Amino acid sequence: MATLALKNITKRFGDFTAVKDFNLTVEDGEMIALLGGSGCGKTTTLRMIAGFTEPTEGSIFVAGKEMGKIPPYKRNVGIFFQNYALFPHMTVFENVAFGLKLQKLPKAEIEQRVSEILNLVKLYGLEKRYPRELSGGQQQRVALARALVTRPSILLLDEPLSNLDAKLRVEMQVEIKRIQKELAITTIIVTHDHEEAVSLADRVIVMNAGQILQVGSPYEIFDKPNSEFIADFMGFSTFVKGTMGGEARDGKRPVTCSGKTILVSAEAAEGIEPGSSVTLATRSEHMELVKEAGENVVEGTMQAATYKGHTTRLEVAGCFDEVIYPAADEYIELEAGKPLLVHLPVDRLCVYKNNA
Amino acid sequence: MRDGHVNLLCKIVAILVMIFLVAPLLIIIVVSFTPTAVITFPPQGFSLRWYANIFTGTGKFMSGLVNSLKVGVLATAIDVFVGVFGALSICRYNFKGKNVLLNYFTSPMYVPSIAFAFVLLQVYSQIGGITGMTRVFIGHLIIILPYIVRNTVSVLHVFNWTLEDAAASLGANPIQVFFKVTIPLAKPGIVSGGILAFLYSFDEVALSSLLSSPRFVTLPIRIMNYMELTFDPTLAAISTLLILASLIIIVLMDKFVGLDMFMK
Ligand SMILES: Nc1ncnc2c1ncn2[C@@H]1O[C@H](COP(=O)(O)OP(=O)(O)OP(=O)(O)O)[C@@H](O)[C@H]1O
Ligand SMILES: [Mg+2]
Repeated sequence: MATLALKNITKRFGDFTAVKDFNLTVEDGEMIALLGGSGCGKTTTLRMIAGFTEPTEGSIFVAGKEMGKIPPYKRNVGIFFQNYALFPHMTVFENVAFGLKLQKLPKAEIEQRVSEILNLVKLYGLEKRYPRELSGGQQQRVALARALVTRPSILLLDEPLSNLDAKLRVEMQVEIKRIQKELAITTIIVTHDHEEAVSLADRVIVMNAGQILQVGSPYEIFDKPNSEFIADFMGFSTFVKGTMGGEARDGKRPVTCSGKTILVSAEAAEGIEPGSSVTLATRSEHMELVKEAGENVVEGTMQAATYKGHTTRLEVAGCFDEVIYPAADEYIELEAGKPLLVHLPVDRLCVYKNNA
Repeated sequence: MRDGHVNLLCKIVAILVMIFLVAPLLIIIVVSFTPTAVITFPPQGFSLRWYANIFTGTGKFMSGLVNSLKVGVLATAIDVFVGVFGALSICRYNFKGKNVLLNYFTSPMYVPSIAFAFVLLQVYSQIGGITGMTRVFIGHLIIILPYIVRNTVSVLHVFNWTLEDAAASLGANPIQVFFKVTIPLAKPGIVSGGILAFLYSFDEVALSSLLSSPRFVTLPIRIMNYMELTFDPTLAAISTLLILASLIIIVLMDKFVGLDMFMK
């Protein structure tokens, strides 16, 4: 229900810079996922938006209005805390109703909205419990309910689903998304789970060491990370070094890796001069085992096989200097030393230029 | 086998400690019902005459009790106010000299109360005109403050300050945050500190004996004076009533504060 803009935000704790020159505009009703390793400044960024701590430099705008010295309780920014921050002296009901009571809503409406949201997070019937009488996942959902129930104009969620089982997590994702769209709440969600990020968000931001590395659509971030670092972070498994070859033909360009020629799409290699040292990256599930030799098919031997449920992840050596990790979608018995042919699809290879 | 021995040893020690703690109390209670003026054990017969003597005898215990309550309640009330704000300002902010300030607040705990009374007497005589209750009251006000500060600080040390942020993000202004979150959560420390402080004031002897004037005498001093002249079971009767009062306070505290609720 409001746009959010961060302009040149920097936050220092003493000599340590936790967030550096952070620029972001979030559209009205947009949902942004904030991804990044532990300690990269995600929580710090949210705390500045909520007004708990002031940026060292830069300013924050909500609906075009500079927040400056506006205290947190006047910002109408709802926040889910990474450590839940449930009030230990209040029951589940009182925790969730806390914000509504402060809004001086009629009692009947408070009760109705609380029971509605508790239903939604599947905690109906636990109203009278104290937080210490709940499991970790239940506490997490109470905190989520408390953040959602006041219908803030901006919602900040700091790893709201980290403690839930896979099924409940998906259900909660759906509910968050539904409420968020229904009320058009401008939302930032922090998560360590990149699949969650890409399935929930309109745009994804990847951070490292207090800085934004890439902003893009879920598809771009997931399939076309713009650096080797992000590719690694987004779950790419296989990285192979090589030397960029010459001109494009049929929209493809050759890369020489450990003496073998691998074709990559000209688009992925755009702007990289021939002769540059590059790294090719791809995901396990994009490589396939094949029976016959052909374009981008390399031969190696099986080193290890790890069964992952619906796929088997293999370690294959000998194709390049690096080991590659293709995944097969059936169960494969480990036969160390067994020769295998692996196909690296042209349009699934990302190309990154290495710094000298 | 060895575990069994250790277990037995623990039990014996525990029982001995219990006896050691409870036996004197039991003796006092039994003696208070004795009919004879000379304290004998075991008592011969049963009588409430010493209880009656508390109210009718020469000890003026009731006026002492009223005085002690006045000083204790007033000093505790004021110190809870001062102590809680002191503890909050110490714990909430990170600043240089934090520990120095904490030690300053708690220093009266380490100064012998006789020495402290001596200093106060000097001050009073310099200023002049400080009489009656005020003399004792000022002394108590200062020496019981550490108990409130210490207990509140010990709760605030493990306080999750994010809770205040959470309340603010839900629309609570600083005053609402204070009364709806901070105070309720600090309550165990405040209440236990307050009770300790009150009890300390209530049976404080050293300081009060020097600062009391004939016009204003607290209960412990009355008891002491009485004891110097007469040694009969009236004292046991008073002690029994005081034990009873302490028990009631402990039970009420447990019921209303529910200390275990916060021990997670
Ligand atoms: N109050 C503070 N004083 C000093 N350093 C701090 C403070 N708060 C955070 N930091 C530091 O700032 C950095 C970023 O912290 P932040 O909590 O934002 O990380 P995060 O991205 O949320 O990590 P995580 O995923 O583990 O929650 C960390 O290195 C942290 O140690
Ligand atoms: Mg964090």
